Amino acid sequence: MKLTRRDLLWGAAGTAGLLVTPVPWKLLDDVSIWSQNWPWIPQPTRDPVEVKQSFCTLCPNGCGMRVRMATGWPVGVAGVASHPISRGALCPLGFGAHQLNWHPQRLRTVRHRANSSSWQAATAAFAKACSEGPIAIIDGYPGRAASSVFQTFVQKRNGSYRTVSGPETQALASYESWSGVPVAGLGYDLENAQTIVSFGAPLLDGWGTPGRFARLWAERAAGSTDPRLRLIQVEASLSRTAARAWQWVPVHPGSEAALAAGLARVLLEERLVRAGGPMPPMTLAQAAEQTGLSTGAIADLARTIVARPPVVAIANDGNPAIAALNVVLGAAGACGGIVRKSKHAESYASADTGITSARAVLIDASVPWDFTPPTNAEVFRFAASDGGSGAADWLLPAPGFLEELTDVPTAPASGIATYAVAPSLLKAPPEVHSAAEFLGGIDPALITVEKVIHTRCADLFRGRAGILQGQETTPVSKCSSVQKLEEQLWKGAVWIDEPPRSAAFRCELKEWPATADSAQSVGSSSWNWSKAWRAPVLPPLATKLYLESSLREAPDRRNV
Amino acid sequence: MNARYGMVIDLDRCTGCGSCMVACAAENNVPSLPQASPRTGITPMLVRKVSNGMEGGAQREVFIPIMCMHCEHETPCVSVCPQQAVEVDKATGIVMQMPQRCLGCRYCMTACPYHARYFNWWDPAWPVGMEKSLNPGVAVRMRGVVEKCNMCHARLHSAMAKAAATGKREIDPADYVPACVEACPTVAIRFGNLADQNDPVSHEAQSPDAFRLLARLDTEPKVYYKSKEAWVRALAESKSANAEVKHG
Repeated sequence: MKLTRRDLLWGAAGTAGLLVTPVPWKLLDDVSIWSQNWPWIPQPTRDPVEVKQSFCTLCPNGCGMRVRMATGWPVGVAGVASHPISRGALCPLGFGAHQLNWHPQRLRTVRHRANSSSWQAATAAFAKACSEGPIAIIDGYPGRAASSVFQTFVQKRNGSYRTVSGPETQALASYESWSGVPVAGLGYDLENAQTIVSFGAPLLDGWGTPGRFARLWAERAAGSTDPRLRLIQVEASLSRTAARAWQWVPVHPGSEAALAAGLARVLLEERLVRAGGPMPPMTLAQAAEQTGLSTGAIADLARTIVARPPVVAIANDGNPAIAALNVVLGAAGACGGIVRKSKHAESYASADTGITSARAVLIDASVPWDFTPPTNAEVFRFAASDGGSGAADWLLPAPGFLEELTDVPTAPASGIATYAVAPSLLKAPPEVHSAAEFLGGIDPALITVEKVIHTRCADLFRGRAGILQGQETTPVSKCSSVQKLEEQLWKGAVWIDEPPRSAAFRCELKEWPATADSAQSVGSSSWNWSKAWRAPVLPPLATKLYLESSLREAPDRRNV
Repeated sequence: MNARYGMVIDLDRCTGCGSCMVACAAENNVPSLPQASPRTGITPMLVRKVSNGMEGGAQREVFIPIMCMHCEHETPCVSVCPQQAVEVDKATGIVMQMPQRCLGCRYCMTACPYHARYFNWWDPAWPVGMEKSLNPGVAVRMRGVVEKCNMCHARLHSAMAKAAATGKREIDPADYVPACVEACPTVAIRFGNLADQNDPVSHEAQSPDAFRLLARLDTEPKVYYKSKEAWVRALAESKSANAEVKHG
C-alpha cells in the first residue's frame, strides 16, 4: 500500500484529535496506577483503625503511648498528652517501635552455643542447674511484677537477684551509701530547680523520661537569654544538649570529677553555700590543670551556679564527686534537687558482683546487650532480638514490643512515684516465652505476673492514696472497688502517688570521695568503647537517622 | 475550605532529636532500605545540623528541620513539571505531588531551591511481615517517582471525612495535625492556617524573629522559622560567612 500525503494528514489529524480527548491521559494514568500494584509491592490493610492506650517498654521510663491498631497489628504510635511524666512525647525509637517485632534480627528459635535447640532442652538444662548449685537472675528493669516473680524464684532456691542499672540510676547510687535511702526511692525534682548543672548527662537527648525534661526546658529555657531554668552543660564535645544549653562549659574528657571538686572548693572557701560539706583535697589550680579551664573560669562558674537557686548537679554515671557537689550545694534531699519520692522502695544489688559462684545465671530480656555477666557460670539469656554480643550458652527468644503483659513502675529519675499497666496488645508468637513464663514452667507453684499485678492493684486500693490519671482524673479514694481501679489501669490510666510530706533525707558525707579518674585514662576508655561499638537493634525507621542523615552519627563515624 | 496551611518552626526549641523524621517516615510508609544513603534515601522531613563556624567554647549549633516549603508564588516544582504531577491545592495551599502522574524526570528536584524532594530509587520493601505495620491511610509509592512532604494529607482527608460525617463543612483544627508536629517533644514545630488571623501560628509567622529560607527568591514559602539568634536568622539568605551546614 502506498502512503500518500493525504494519509499522513489524516494520521496527523487523527493523532491530534485523540490527544484532545482524555483517552491517552486516562490510559497513562491507569498504567501508572497499575504499575504501582505489582504483586511484590506491599499494600497496607484497608481495615479500620482502632486506637489503644499502652506504655512504651523499650526502656524503664514507660512513656505513655497511643497505639493505632489495624487488623490486630500496630500501624503507628504517638504520645499521650495526659501522661504525667512523658507529657505526650516519645523518643525517636518509640515512634518506630511498632516495627521492631519484624526486625530481621528478631530471635525466633532457642539457640544453644550457636546451634538450634528447643525449649524442652533449655528448661531441662536450667532445672538441672538449679538442682546442682545456686543460681542468679539478672534484671534490667527492677520493680516490675516480673521482678517479683524472679525474686520469689531465687528466694526458694537460695539464689541471688541482681540488677543492671542505667546511667540515671548509677548517678544516684552514692546517695544510697551516704544516706541509706535506696536508689529506687530517690529521684530528681527538676520541676522546682532553677539551675541545672549537667556533667555530660544527655538531658535533651534521651536522659530519663525524654519528654519530661524536653517539655520543661522548652517551656522555661528555650530561646531566652535569661531563662527561668538555667541549663549549664559540662561536656568535652558540643553534644545536642550542649548546643541548646544556656551555657556550655567545654572541659577535657574525663575531668568532670576534677571540675566538681574545684567548684566545691570555691563554694566552700567563698562561703557561697549554706549547706557546707567536706573540703575536696584537690586545689583549684589542680582542678584547672585537669579540666583545661582557668582558675578564674571555675570560680566564675561556681558563682554562676549558685546565683539562681535551687540548683542541682546531674552526672551521667556513678561519679561520686558530682554527688558530693550536690551535698555541698545542699541539693541532696532538698526541693529542686535530689528528693525522696517513696518510702517503700527496695534496695537492689548490682550484677557486677556476687554472681561468680553461681552455677547458672539467667539474664532477663530487659538487660541491655552490652552487659556481659562477670562469671563462668552457664548463662541463659532472654532477648527479643539478637544484639550480636554478650556471650551466652543459651539464647532464648523473648516476647517483643507490646507482646507481653507487664506493669510499669516508677521511672528511675522521676521525682514522684507512679504505676501503670501495659497490657499485651499483640499475641506473642508460639515460639517465644518470657523469663517469668520459663521459670513458671520449672516451678508450677510460682506466682504469675498477672497475680502480682492484681496484688499490687489491691495494695494501691487499700492505700487509698494518690490519683488515677487517664482521660479523667480520679482520686483512688473515690474508686469503688479493686476491680474498678484495675480496669482503669488496664485502659491506660497512670496511678500517681501523693507528693511525699517530706522529700528530705540526710546525707552523711565526712570526707570528699576518692575519684580515680583522670583525663587520660577516661579519655582512652572512651576511645576503646567507640572502637568496640556495635549498632544496637533499633527500629528500622530509627536506623534511617543513622544511615540517611548526619543528625545522629554512629560512634565509628564520629571524629572522636 | 479556603485555608493556607503552614508551619512555624522555632529553631531555639529544636534539640535535633529526630523524632519528627521517624514519625514522618512511619506515617508516610517510607521504607528503610539498607542500600539507601544520605544522597539516595527518602527523608521528606530531614533535620540538618548547622554550626556557626566558630571554634571552642564560642561554637554554637542549631538544628533546622527541612521539608517541602509549600511555596505559594511561582512554585518552582509546579512550573517545571511536564506531567502536571505537582500542583498547589487551591483549597489548602498544600503543594501536592501525584505519584500516579510522575514520570520520574526529576526536573522538580533540580528546580527546588530547598532540596526537599527525593527520588524513589527502589521498589519499596520491608522485612518479612513488617508490611503489617504500614499505615493504612497512606498508599505505598512505586519506584521511579519523586516524593516529598505533603503535610500529611491523609490526615486532612480523615479530618474532612470526620467533619462530613457530622454534617460540618469545616474541619476541627485539632483533627488535622501532621505527624512531625505531633511528634515534636519540645513543641518546636507548630502548624496552622496562615490565612486565619485568629490562628496563633499566623501571628507567630509575623513576629520579628520569624523568617523564611531564601525569601529573596520570592516563592513565598509557607514554612516559617523563628530564632532569636542573629547568626541563625542570617542563615536564611545563605549570607552567613562562617556558618557550616552538615548535609545529610
